[in-house]
This record gives sequence, C-alpha cells and structure tokens, in this order.
Amino acid sequence: MNDLADRARGISSLRDFLELLKDAGQAITWSDRVMPEPDLRNIAVAASRDASGAPAIIFDNIAGYPGKRTVVGVHGSWDNIALLLGRPKGTTIRELFFEIAGRWGDAEAQISFVPEEQAPVHECRVESGINLYDILPVYRINEYDGGFYLGKASVASRDPEDPDNFGKQNVGIYRLQLQGPDCFSLMTIPSHDMGRQIMAAERTGLPLKIAVMLGNHPGLAVFAATPIGYEESEYSYASAMMGAPIRLTKSGNGVDILADSEIVIEAEMQLGERVLEGPFGEFPGSYSGVRKAPLFKVTAVSHRRDPIFENIYIGRGWTEHDTLIGLHTSAPIYAQLRKDFPEVTAVNALYQHGLTGIISVKNRMAGFAKTVALRALSTPHGVMYLKNLIMVDADVDPFDLNQVMWALSTRTRADDIIVLPNMPAVPIDPSAVVPGKGHRLIIDATSYLRPDPIGEAHLVNPPTGLEIDALSKAIRVLQQGVAQ
Amino acid sequence: MSDMLCPRCSRANAIVDYQGWQDDTVVWTIFRCITCCFSWRDSEPASTIGVGARSADFAVDAANLDRYPKILQQVGK
Ligand SMILES: [Zn+2]
Repeated sequence: MNDLADRARGISSLRDFLELLKDAGQAITWSDRVMPEPDLRNIAVAASRDASGAPAIIFDNIAGYPGKRTVVGVHGSWDNIALLLGRPKGTTIRELFFEIAGRWGDAEAQISFVPEEQAPVHECRVESGINLYDILPVYRINEYDGGFYLGKASVASRDPEDPDNFGKQNVGIYRLQLQGPDCFSLMTIPSHDMGRQIMAAERTGLPLKIAVMLGNHPGLAVFAATPIGYEESEYSYASAMMGAPIRLTKSGNGVDILADSEIVIEAEMQLGERVLEGPFGEFPGSYSGVRKAPLFKVTAVSHRRDPIFENIYIGRGWTEHDTLIGLHTSAPIYAQLRKDFPEVTAVNALYQHGLTGIISVKNRMAGFAKTVALRALSTPHGVMYLKNLIMVDADVDPFDLNQVMWALSTRTRADDIIVLPNMPAVPIDPSAVVPGKGHRLIIDATSYLRPDPIGEAHLVNPPTGLEIDALSKAIRVLQQGVAQ
Repeated sequence: MSDMLCPRCSRANAIVDYQGWQDDTVVWTIFRCITCCFSWRDSEPASTIGVGARSADFAVDAANLDRYPKILQQVGK
C-alpha cells in the first residue's frame, strides 16, 4: 500500500498516470479503427456503465486523424480515483471520501518552476498557420452539441487588473467550443473566477490572456474543479491535496502553466465579441441552451511530441464527470458542517454535482437532522446545488444506497419532510420551472428521539465497523482465489 | 464558401474548416456555419447532420438571433 502511495505521489503528468493505470489493468488501448462520431461517444458511454472499475481508454486509430491519440475515462471510475490517491483498486467510495476529507490542511504546497526551454510541454511549438484541428482529434461529445468541445480543459489566466499576483491567477475547468481553426468560445458565469476576469477586462479594456491546458496532471482536474477562495492558488491547493510536487513553467503569453501537460493553447479574449455557443450536454443530463459567449483567438500552441488529447464524456449520469468531481464536491460540505456540527459523519454529494445529497448525522436532539440540513443549504455549494437532501442516521453509510433505501423505507414519516419553495437554484437543473429558482426538499430519514413518538419496534443492530469491513474484503479475496 | 446547407439553421453560409485525410483520400470534412456557429463533420449520423432528420428542438432561428442571450453583459450596456 505504501508503494501505491509513493507511486501516486510521484506522478507528474498524464503520461505517468496512464502508465500507472496500465500497470494496474486500468487503462486500455483501443486500436480498432473508429469514426470520431458516433464511435468515440458510444465507447465512452459503454465504459461509464461500470462506475467502479472502468478503465481509461486510449484511441490511436481514429478515421481521418492518422497518428493522433485521444483518451477518455482517465478519472472514469472509483478504481482510477483510488489509484490516483495512492489506494488500491477496490477501495470503497466511503474510504476514498475520508482519504480526501482527511487531507484538508494536511500538507504544504510544493511548487517548483521549470525553465521554459526544459519544459516538456514546449517540446513542439506552433506560432503561425494555427489550425487546432491539426493538433486535436476532436469529436462531438453529445449528438446535439453545437460543435466540437474541449470538455476537460483546465484554463489558467491572470487577473487583468493584478497580473503579477500569483494567488489571483485562476485555474478552472470551463467548456470550450471550437469556433473555427484558431478560435474558441468559453462558457462561464459571472460568479466564477473566469467570469469576473472577463468582465474586468471588458470594463477596463485591458487584455485577457489565457492558457488552456489539456492532458494534465490528473490531480489538477480533481482539486482545481471546485471553487476555492479567489485569492488562493489552485496549483498550491492541488499540490497540497495530492501531497506531491507540481512543476510549473511559463506559457509563451506569460501565464503559469503545468510544465508536463500534453498540450497548451495560448489565446487572447476578443474584447466585447460574442458568438453563439451551445447547446452542450451538461452534467444534469440535459442540454444547455444557446447563448452568446466570449470569443478567444489562439495566438500559439505548445505540445509534447505525439501529444495525447484528453477528453471526457459528460451527459446523463453515470459519467466520468461524476467520478471526477463527486468526492471533492462532498468533502468541503462535510468539513463546513463539521465545524458547527461534529455529529455529521459523512456527506455524499456525488449525484449530479450534489443536486441530491445524502448526509449521515447523529441526532443531538429530536429534529436535529433538519437543522443540519438547513445549515447544509447555506454552505457555499449548498446555496445553489443541494436541491434534495436525504438525512440518515450516523450508522447508515450514505455512500451505500442499499442502506440509504433502508433508511428511506423504515425511518421516513411522510409528515417529516420539508419543502422550501422558491429558493435559488443552479440554472441548468432541467426540473426548473424558472431557471435559477426552485424548491428544496429535505427528507428526514433519521431515527426518532423523544419527545417524538418513537413507536414500538426495536431495530436490529447488525455488526458493523472495521472488523466487518475486513471480513468483507477477506471474502472477496477468497472468491478471487476460487476464480483463478 | 460552400453551398452546404447548415443542418441547424438551414442557411447556406458554411465554410470548410478542416479535412481529415487518410491514405491520400479525404475521409471527412468539417464545416462551420457563419450564421449560427454550428460546426459539423459530414461523416456524422443523420440524427445530427441530416436536414429533416435532426430534431427541430435544436434548430437555431437564423432570422431571430437576438433571442439568444448574451452572457457576462456589463451592467448599463
Ligand atoms: Zn447555421
């Protein structure tokens, strides 16, 4: 197990991680000829049926893209996430959750800078005659997307009003739609860091230069996808959470980028310009609408020799997007609730980025779980996302839906639910009557305490805990022995 | 400019952005509609690019592009 942890900490690039995954049987190469559409989508969707064990899939024989490679599913299963975190295949979601929750504030960031001429990402450089289709084997992710999207791009930028401030650099995942050979649109909202920077640039007339990183250190996408404080560097945060060093270098347009990424696209926003963007099949499993979004013009591209274009399938769950962001959506809510309510024992916000959340809590007094639920709604993520909350007892594992269903079946009294009407809501929730507003639902499926009527039945308390966890693993090992 | 009709807005304002080649043969061509910004590859299934086969729910109304909201609008502009 220590070997696994050491190897995970030694990863500095997508290539390193793909090697690790291959050694563990968690990455495969698809060498049969595929059409960009619909084959890549179909294979990615088929893979995501196995949320626990799906491998990353590298395609190296795509019709019309000779010699080019694309990979999907790098974060597409719990086993791949486990290996990234230095844990063995078969680690439970609950264990992975506590692995991430336990890393909070645990380690220092280790950031080093590599001179540009030594950075692998700059091995090949294109500064004129740029055609992104020459470099990126793109394909339509969902059938009614408005174009060809880069679905897994980490975008780095400096604050146009404070360009020398390292902490105010932003790194975030935004969806990018190709708008011709050397242009793309970027979708964001005013409250995201990139949205703020775009508005600041357009207000002041200052240039906004960005670097789009593709095929990155796999820790960056996990830990830089969730909003953190504006003045906190996502690189530092990702390094601390990985407990591993991160190597940076400069892009040609002066942005700090990962030195070992596969591809970096340098671009500048076209102030005031907007182009039609979307639809795009988004994480709730519905398409976004068509909007007029900011346009960026590509000024240069750097890439490694024989770069691997990393992309994601996102749409109606379960998809890679759910395994990519699920745990790191859940862990901050847990940490924020625990500050006031140490009775909270786990938070599962894996489903559709937390549109449904399940929280396990030990009731301090009758009705307490509902108080905790209301607090969850006021956490930074809860304000917009936590639409349906299911509260379960502390001894119910919120990551085990069989146990959650037991709680719903046996602990819920139908007059013990709360509907909060006309609350803020994430606009892309397809159930919205008015996008941006909606109702919240709290189902209290915890046990009763006096002065509530408790009823006559006594619950069975089966053996639980580490001993049973170990026995369950022992059974799996014996079973695998029989199979061989 | 090609005479290709855009599968999404039905205008004939498409340009060629790229061609995929293999063994000295064009395998497919990527078009882009200047009117509605739709990009497509001519090898895609009819459900995506077939005029008439595409769901009308995803059509873009080229005569009324003002109906599509602009994001990150500055206050007062
Ligand atoms: Zn069109």
